[in-house]
Amino acid sequence: MSAPREISFPKRTPGLDPPAQGNRGSRILAPLRAEGARGVAIAIVSTVVVFAVVTIAVVSSSGWPLIRQSFFDGAVFAEAFPKIVDKFWRNVFIFTVAEVLVLIVALLIAVIRSLPGPVFFPLRLLAAAYTDLFRAVPTILVIALLGFGAPALAIRGVPSSDVFWAIVALTFVYSAYVAEVYRAGIASIHPSQVASARALGLSRQQGLRSVVLPQAIRRVIPPLLNDFIGLQKDSALVVFLGYQEALRTAQIIQSENFDFTPYVALALVYVVITIPQARFVDWLIARDQRKRQAEATL
Amino acid sequence: MRKSLLVLALLAVTSTACADTTTPIGSDPTTTTGAPVSAEDCATTNAGALESGGVLTVGTGNPAFPPWWEGGQVEGSEFEFNEPSLGEGYEGAVVAEVADRLGFAFPDAVTFVPVGFNKAFAPGDKPFDFVLQQISYKPQRDEAVDFSESYYDVNQAIVSAEGTSIAGATTVAELRDAKLGAPIGTTSLDVIEDVIQPTQEPEVYDDLALAVQDLKNGSIEGVVVDLPTAFFMAAVQIPKGVVVGQFEASSDEYFAMAFETGSPLVACVDLALQEMKGDGTLDAIAREWLADKTNAPVLG
Repeated sequence: MSAPREISFPKRTPGLDPPAQGNRGSRILAPLRAEGARGVAIAIVSTVVVFAVVTIAVVSSSGWPLIRQSFFDGAVFAEAFPKIVDKFWRNVFIFTVAEVLVLIVALLIAVIRSLPGPVFFPLRLLAAAYTDLFRAVPTILVIALLGFGAPALAIRGVPSSDVFWAIVALTFVYSAYVAEVYRAGIASIHPSQVASARALGLSRQQGLRSVVLPQAIRRVIPPLLNDFIGLQKDSALVVFLGYQEALRTAQIIQSENFDFTPYVALALVYVVITIPQARFVDWLIARDQRKRQAEATL
Repeated sequence: MRKSLLVLALLAVTSTACADTTTPIGSDPTTTTGAPVSAEDCATTNAGALESGGVLTVGTGNPAFPPWWEGGQVEGSEFEFNEPSLGEGYEGAVVAEVADRLGFAFPDAVTFVPVGFNKAFAPGDKPFDFVLQQISYKPQRDEAVDFSESYYDVNQAIVSAEGTSIAGATTVAELRDAKLGAPIGTTSLDVIEDVIQPTQEPEVYDDLALAVQDLKNGSIEGVVVDLPTAFFMAAVQIPKGVVVGQFEASSDEYFAMAFETGSPLVACVDLALQEMKGDGTLDAIAREWLADKTNAPVLG
């Protein structure tokens, strides 16, 4: 089957947008290339001035020595950082397992919500109720209610493990968000594509599986990754259950020393793992755009 | 305390010389041995250092937990469980006595403000003269705040519920295989890790209520807390709760009031505490509020 052409989105007029290869790196830098050497020089000077002014303002403030002692204490950092990184693998486990489950559960919900016809009304209603409920309740409450509530039922075979219930809670909450992302992707596929698939003799399911979903999912990869980053950060909410993951480790060292440096160390860990992901999405988008442009010129 | 001695010496200088109170304490390191000062004189001299003029502003946790605070809730007050200005419970009675000795009539000249644990040591201007909420002195913590002398020497204990595998334990070794918990910000976690050295990783909770819930659920089998709190939990919070036992006293752990770094009031409160230890008032307060809450078998 030949790759489907863009129908719903008209091609961008060349010249109005920065060239596609400009997206290879960061969108922040793209406008600079158009400006040339003078533009780059101005950008460098203004950046240096802005950062210098901000740094001087912060460092010369009367509270700076206190802040430095409480938030940027080298000795505490050296103690905290390796311990936090060590426990961060527990967060990695939680959000990786949750993400896999989220991608599956959310897709099911999105497909159910997109089912046409009056017969499926109860299913659509349930799916809608699910997404409404779990987007309405704050994540920490879902974790607390499941983490402390579910084991209290004392049902045989139901684990009381914090990690188990944290993964379940995060899956519930994030699959509600991600289902909406998928649904938007599915809705963005022009109905004529479904009609064409049917005309080619594909069944409704076949059309969904091989025509609609592949395009829909590719289109929503950036928002999917955005939600994944959110999920990574919310894995820290498991502390509420008493589990010793990265944030709890930071809190323990903080309360030991009455010093907030461990929080800065943990923030650094999150920054280091999230920023490459954001750049990766930029790269994916750029690649996808180049591909589609190449196809369009065939 | 070394710092407080220095401040104390400086105070003696300033108060005998009747120097104006705007002279920043500690700016001039000249020391002379002055006559001993009373807590009240000290507070008068340093009235300018008060958070709010003419009153002593005291921070504590909210809810105000027994047996440290007693007397119940008062309508219209933001404090839960117990009203600090009643001056009841161990910490309540200590504050009332310290305030009186500093020359602040209790409760009229004392204001209580709720302080979250982290707020107690966050950098910057603190909204209280001192905070007391079962904060243990630790040398590492001394950099962020200044501590008073001990107002309570702490022993840690383990509390559980009837029917758990550790309810009848008499030795530390018997606790080793149990899943245990402790509230964060306390030294109880240190006891679990250093003394018990459990085979399962302990849970660490934001507050006691969460630990109690996990104990009820059977997710954990015991909670390590300070001894008086253990008695409160066993009697009130945990159904069929038992204080399994207390740990061998670690002589260096004590609760202290925490002050903004460099506060001259540390010396005044220390003087008041020394007076109270000298004349037996502190012991009397302990007998009144903690008498039935310190008698647990020591775990071998």
